[in-house]
Amino acid sequence: MNVSKQFHNRIFLRICLFVIAFIWCVGFISPVFFKSINILAASYPFTKRIYSIVCHQIGAKTFSINNNNFLVCARCTGIYSGALIASLASLFYLSFNPRNNNLLLYSLIPLLLDVLFTTAGLYHYSKILAMATGLFFGSVSFTYILNILENNLLTEKNGY
Amino acid sequence: MDTKKILPSFVCGFGAAVVSTVPGIKNIGCCLIVPAATLIALFLDEKINHSDLKINLKKALAFGILTGIFAAFFSTIFDLLLTFISHTNDYVEALPQTESLIKSYKLDPLFDQTISMLDAMAKQIKVSGFSPLYTFMIFISNIFIDIVFGIIGGLLGMSYLNKRK
Repeated sequence: MNVSKQFHNRIFLRICLFVIAFIWCVGFISPVFFKSINILAASYPFTKRIYSIVCHQIGAKTFSINNNNFLVCARCTGIYSGALIASLASLFYLSFNPRNNNLLLYSLIPLLLDVLFTTAGLYHYSKILAMATGLFFGSVSFTYILNILENNLLTEKNGY
Repeated sequence: MDTKKILPSFVCGFGAAVVSTVPGIKNIGCCLIVPAATLIALFLDEKINHSDLKINLKKALAFGILTGIFAAFFSTIFDLLLTFISHTNDYVEALPQTESLIKSYKLDPLFDQTISMLDAMAKQIKVSGFSPLYTFMIFISNIFIDIVFGIIGGLLGMSYLNKRK
């Protein structure tokens, strides 16, 4: 397989992942577009149900724009936004591999500590902090997933 | 695939369903429950089968899908059971708010069908504790989302566990 085709496969995979992350993120901020796109408002019960599987959706812990709450909490917003930002960045930076073996674990630590401390009542829940910890974990997770997919899908079959 | 290989996914899928049903724990675990369950399933599989080999993509995906299926299956069962006993659930309780939100956007009359369908489901749940359409809706959404998040957990688990070797 020539280098050009290998390059295109790699880019294609990254574009696919970006599109998936983008659609997922648009889905949870869809209440913001209810006024302009009516069909989204009609599908609200179903989209709310879908996102309720992966998030508690507590109103006080979610971001809102014009009183329209997102369908996931601030932490989940951070995780998914992190993945979206990382997927976008991966389109421009081809050498997008995690160097540190334990980075995934390290990225999870701030998130878990924030959950632990807010649950224990050491400090009040902060949407910004929750989002920031989620953002870090989401972006690192994406790089690992991309790395795994590229190393296995493109390397084994195509000798890339 | 023999029982020994399915068992970790079964146990972890069941655990994920239990954890995601308990309200307090769900608030903490959020979207990490099913991915974490898949990672634990991969870890348990290594321990049960005394495997020192690196996990390949096929195995990670298989574990993700299986754990997702089991988690979705048991989540649906628990949801249906609680709904059947209590004749109410989050959906029924949130419906008036949902309806008022949809109505506030003054949508086409065509969308009245959506509202009447939602009402019919809620009425069935209140009367008999069971709605076939609601069951179908939650099962399909659970299975789709749990499999996707299971796969994500499988990939992350594969990456993490392989790098430990």
